[in-house]
Amino acid sequence: MDLLAFARGPGMHWAMIVFAAGILWRVIGVLLLRGRSELSEPRSASQWKGLRLIGLRSWPRKEFLGGTAFGEIMGYTFHIGFLVALFFYLPHILFFEDVAKTVIGVNFRRVFGFDWPYLPGGAIYFFSAVSVAALIAVLVHRIASPVKRMLSNFDDYFSWFVTIAPIATGMLAYSHFAAPYPMMLALHLLSVELLMVWFPFGKLMHAFWMFAARGIQGVEFERKGASL
Amino acid sequence: MTTLGDALHASGVSRRAFLKFCTALTSLMALPPGAAPAVAQALATAKRPSVIWLSFQECTGCTESLTRTSAPTLENLILDLVSLDYHHTLQAAAGFAAEEARARAMKEFDGKYLLLVDGSIPTADGGIYGTWGGESFVDILEQSVKGAAAVVAIGSCAAFGGLPKANPNPTGAVPVSALVKGKPVINVPGCPPIAVVMTGVLAHYLTFGKIPELDAQGRPLAFYGETIHDRCYRRPFYDAGKFAKTFDDEGARSGWCLYELGCKGPITHNACATIKWNAGTSFPIQSGHGCLGCSEPDFWDKGSFYKALATTEWGDAKTLGAAAAVGVAAGAAAAYLARKRQERIEKED
Amino acid sequence: MSAATGELKRAAGTSPGFACDRQGTRSDDERVAQAMRGFVEDFGRKAALYLESCIHCGMCAESCHFYEVTGDPKYTPVWKLEPLKQAYKREYGPFAPIFRLLNLKRAVSADQLAEWQHLLYDSCTMCGRCSLMCPMGIDIAGLISDARHGMARAGLVPAELREAADRGAAPADFKDRIGRLAAEHRIDIPLDKAKADVLCTISATEIEKYPASIVATAKIMQRLGADWTFRSDGYQANNFGLLAGDAQKQKEASMKLIDAAVACGAKSLILPECGHAYGALRWMGANIYGKPLPFQVLHISEFLAENVRSGKLRLKRLDKSATFHDPCQSSRRGGVIEAPREVLAALGVELKEMFPTRGTNWCCGGGGGVVDIRRADALRHKVFHLKMNQIDDTGAELPVTSCSDCRKTFDDGQTHYRWDKSMNSLLELVADNLAEA
Repeated sequence: MDLLAFARGPGMHWAMIVFAAGILWRVIGVLLLRGRSELSEPRSASQWKGLRLIGLRSWPRKEFLGGTAFGEIMGYTFHIGFLVALFFYLPHILFFEDVAKTVIGVNFRRVFGFDWPYLPGGAIYFFSAVSVAALIAVLVHRIASPVKRMLSNFDDYFSWFVTIAPIATGMLAYSHFAAPYPMMLALHLLSVELLMVWFPFGKLMHAFWMFAARGIQGVEFERKGASL
Repeated sequence: MTTLGDALHASGVSRRAFLKFCTALTSLMALPPGAAPAVAQALATAKRPSVIWLSFQECTGCTESLTRTSAPTLENLILDLVSLDYHHTLQAAAGFAAEEARARAMKEFDGKYLLLVDGSIPTADGGIYGTWGGESFVDILEQSVKGAAAVVAIGSCAAFGGLPKANPNPTGAVPVSALVKGKPVINVPGCPPIAVVMTGVLAHYLTFGKIPELDAQGRPLAFYGETIHDRCYRRPFYDAGKFAKTFDDEGARSGWCLYELGCKGPITHNACATIKWNAGTSFPIQSGHGCLGCSEPDFWDKGSFYKALATTEWGDAKTLGAAAAVGVAAGAAAAYLARKRQERIEKED
Repeated sequence: MSAATGELKRAAGTSPGFACDRQGTRSDDERVAQAMRGFVEDFGRKAALYLESCIHCGMCAESCHFYEVTGDPKYTPVWKLEPLKQAYKREYGPFAPIFRLLNLKRAVSADQLAEWQHLLYDSCTMCGRCSLMCPMGIDIAGLISDARHGMARAGLVPAELREAADRGAAPADFKDRIGRLAAEHRIDIPLDKAKADVLCTISATEIEKYPASIVATAKIMQRLGADWTFRSDGYQANNFGLLAGDAQKQKEASMKLIDAAVACGAKSLILPECGHAYGALRWMGANIYGKPLPFQVLHISEFLAENVRSGKLRLKRLDKSATFHDPCQSSRRGGVIEAPREVLAALGVELKEMFPTRGTNWCCGGGGGVVDIRRADALRHKVFHLKMNQIDDTGAELPVTSCSDCRKTFDDGQTHYRWDKSMNSLLELVADNLAEA
């Protein structure tokens, strides 16, 4: 079995399994931990309004913007570039559509009566390039900034690597550079599978956690009338 | 008729026609134009080689591709140029007479004959799923390979196992290369291969007396060095993001890219997009159907022909459901253990 | 990064010339075991979600006054939680068994805990700016409190906080002080009434340094004609158990107040000018009590604002400009943000807000027990620059606050820097400016 056949077959098969099982293990393992009831009298009648922190915390208060602007801007640049490349490129959309149709039986691609839109390959390439540039910038910052360097561990660097590898290999495959297309496609798929296998175990899970953490802080603080 | 040149002359092929043929062959084999005279010289003076064609688990499609023409073509010329001493479909003899002819050719041209094989070879249960004349394909191949100068595996079955090898492969079908060691094997895959690709490979061997440059899968680079995608005339639509969604929608009728309809062009190495079929008439994509990837190994087992390449063969809902269940169980167990630990600590205080 | 690099990193986190205070004679292993138990007790869904969420972005450093004035990365707020995070991942998280089996997360060591005493106590006021900053929404300040629980169990609390937590209240001294203040100021200060509508409380800092607060409280209650009292069995609202991380002592101190209020049938319990006292009772009290509190809990500034709003308390108008320093625990963390400003408005001052203000105001640097830790003085003085600059920039005449520990920090800073401005108590300003009866 050649590398591409492996990547398209058993590689993806097991990556999906580890991805699904791992994420659920971690999320359920946290959600089923002990909760504590709040017995104090709330200041606010509707503590659930605090869920707006999920949106609110997406940008820092202006008082904090000084030293954090670089990280925020680079973070968004990376995420937006990456999400556009992931969700608005037809081959990717076809993959998600297939999974959704198989697992849920619903064609999520046809939303509100029209097909999920996609961009031409060249535009996707541009967004990918921007995303890669932002990733390199944040890595440089992580190594150069004393605070980040001190905080960083294996998870930070490895998560960075498994994030940039699919985007970079995707770009290389699209541009038929570095290796013949079938090989580059195999490497792209393998890098995606590596990302999927690592995802449940490292900091990439912040994709799920951030909603939960912002949510509970928002609800608790709203309840007290504390600052959000 | 000892040389090819004599044979051609005898069949009424003019010198001009012959040179035209050699020029075409030169270009086919991606040789520099200046090599045409050398090709002509070599072919004209080459001894008519003996070619033995063994047909195993095959559908005869490769032979059909090679021979089905309405007018004399390059394909026919080659068959006239060689001494085809054994071919189930094309030979006049049958039964013992045919076997005797084969044995005679193998003895007379020992070490020099070209062995062409189409069809895969069944190996399960001692190889009884493929026999003729009381002998298994496995044994026939083994005997025939001994005196062969080179082996050409014609078609995807011979080259990679093809349809018989597809899941669940009940006969234990294997490609030629799995059983032939110690002899050069040229794989000429395709289901079937393009006619002129088959003849081009033969012509190369006849001209130079050695096998052409091969890729990692043993396929001649001259014909299998590029993917369909890289030479596809619909490529601009792929790049522009214009894809047909069904076989009869506006996109399909406008000739847009067939990626979404399952075209495997991006990962398939063959000459279909340039040389095309039926003397350059058309090829599947031009006819509106995606490439099946038939010149790649195990193309029957790579998922539906009508599902896009990007969908991969990731599994099914049941497997994913089982994985999810395992995850939930593990998470619940972890949380339970953690809580028990807490309770124990609190009790001890 | 290898384990060795991690070890180096942690060594770099120490403060030169800093020695860790230790209580008792337990072995290192015993201390670590106790710390782990302290951590695990606090872990729950909320702590887990927070500890899972950190992406090492380091932005919390930008919000922390200790990092701001030193530039030292070890003061990054989430770094202060490192032992807690490590313990969580290794002992309690969903992959904990794997982390332990493959030793993917090192066990917290005694040396590490000793190094971290400085980070968890000397250089954190639990002010909560970091929680407000964190893009992931982690309540870092809240987790610091949890981390201190482990340290207290391990006997690794700074000496001053440990001693204060152990000392607790001194009812006899309090009675004595009340008596003398009442006599000296010729004002009735009810003490130990059997029944009262309002139970007032006071902080140790006010007793020691700002006894005028007690008199001010009495004056205002008298003007309002309130049915109120102090109770010697429950008067001290500040909570060194909370500051030290001793959950048991914290509970004892809070229960004294609650029991006293219940005993006298109080409808309201007024907390004094103190930040953490507010959080301790208003938000944590009921959970400690095990059921909703049968009385209303108000910060003194809330109580004043209510009465100013209803017109019951009329104030003279001060022809001065003022700026308000928000005490972190009552304001940003507690939700009492507008009440003090309502009172200042009633006092007619020209309010010149500093920048930043309200929820994002800088901490004075003395909260969380820091002002009581002597070896942290130099660091705290560095932080004080931020407040001086903030207030100077407003051009306001009167800096005002409503927390006696903030006041103590400001007074100490003022002395250290010979600053030309003095901090004022909102309570005393009100008491000194009651309109003619």
